[in-house]
Amino acid sequence: MLLFSFWVLGIALIVAQTTLLQFFPLWTGRPDFVFILVAFTGYRFAWIPGIILAFTLGWVMDIVAGIHLGFYPLLCLLTFTALKVLTSNSPVKESTYQIPLVGGSYFLIQMFYYFVYSLVLPEVLPEWSWSATTQRTALVVISAVPLFLLFNSLFEYVQKRRMQSKPPRRRQR
Amino acid sequence: MRKKPKNITGSSLFATLRISLLISVLFIVGLLLLGSMFGGTFGTPHKLTLDFIGPLQSTVTRVTSGITAFKNDYVALWNVRAENKRLQALVDKYLTELGEYREGYSSYLHLEELLEFKEKQDFNPLMARVVGKEPVYWYQTIVVDRGESDDVLEGMIALTPHGVVGQVIHTGENYCKILLANAPSSAIDAMIQKNRIRGILKGVGEKGYVLHYVQKNVDVSVGDHIVTAGIGGVFPAGIPLGKVSVVHKKRRGMFQEIEVTPDVDFQKLEFVFIDPTDRRKILRDMVQPIER
Repeated sequence: MLLFSFWVLGIALIVAQTTLLQFFPLWTGRPDFVFILVAFTGYRFAWIPGIILAFTLGWVMDIVAGIHLGFYPLLCLLTFTALKVLTSNSPVKESTYQIPLVGGSYFLIQMFYYFVYSLVLPEVLPEWSWSATTQRTALVVISAVPLFLLFNSLFEYVQKRRMQSKPPRRRQR
Repeated sequence: MRKKPKNITGSSLFATLRISLLISVLFIVGLLLLGSMFGGTFGTPHKLTLDFIGPLQSTVTRVTSGITAFKNDYVALWNVRAENKRLQALVDKYLTELGEYREGYSSYLHLEELLEFKEKQDFNPLMARVVGKEPVYWYQTIVVDRGESDDVLEGMIALTPHGVVGQVIHTGENYCKILLANAPSSAIDAMIQKNRIRGILKGVGEKGYVLHYVQKNVDVSVGDHIVTAGIGGVFPAGIPLGKVSVVHKKRRGMFQEIEVTPDVDFQKLEFVFIDPTDRRKILRDMVQPIER
């Protein structure tokens, strides 16, 4: 149920990103909602459901927008894995690093993307711009705050419903 | 001997004075009355009286008029306010209608332009609506509502009356994805229309295009039209691509760097035309005789 709910949410975000956001002027920016959701799955989801979610959403986005198929799901899986490894059993309080880590991972992913393309298909690359990259990263960080609130609310709601639907345990004598 | 109290003496003197004063006043009033009744002229006393009363009258009248006017304005304001609200509602209604008519007229002009373009072409273009656009920075792709069920194949080109949009790269049953001409992975054979000098037009995303491999001795100026060269069989010759916006002639190197502003506004794409000519088949047919 949790996986399905977030999958539906992810599809809704993909549709919103490819349709509604395009009506806004360019200077307002277009944050990557799907990336933020994938980052959230890295914090909250277990390995198997998280991988399924990250991969399927990346795959759908790849089909809708990608040119060289397979790259976007790979980036989503890398992001999920990296965040999962970094944040598992972390002694630091989660709320401290959640949002900054989203920004940091987005910045690094862009660099990674550029690096791989420069090796494989250098003629396809646009010109690298530190200012544009930083601006997009800042936009993702700002967008992550309300989105994480939304995701957390949905996560806790679904968890609560799941707990309520489970029968109470009998005491062993 | 008993002394008379002083008070009694003082009071009788005061009484006397008062009586005398009263008689004097009555005498003056009588004289004035007789004088005004029988004299017939507006004498000095009259004038003095008038000049004394006049300002008082004037002050009271002005205050009263002010209060009356204020009261009348306040009452009238209620009516004006109601009338203003009614007129404002009418204005809002007419403005909304005007906006709708403007949009309708604009759509009509746009559709007329598209129809004219369609009728002019020597191929039968397939009109497609843009339903989705790529949201991230790296790709420049759109999704349109035509697919294999409409005989759309990979490799077909997409156009608008303004010029080249891009090329179909992936197709589904009912939708297909088009790689825009300003995508970094796009490279089109182009030429400068005025002197037919060829180059390769590469996309640079939101900034438009850059025309590569044009030698430094070639005459290029801002405003020159860039069109498709027709080499390679992908895009027919002569389709508008853009206009030269900046020309960079660096000291080193053989070529000049030419920035081109696209004729097509990729941010405002609503409809595109897909040329149903199977370009890839043409390319295959071109290659096969060579291989033989």
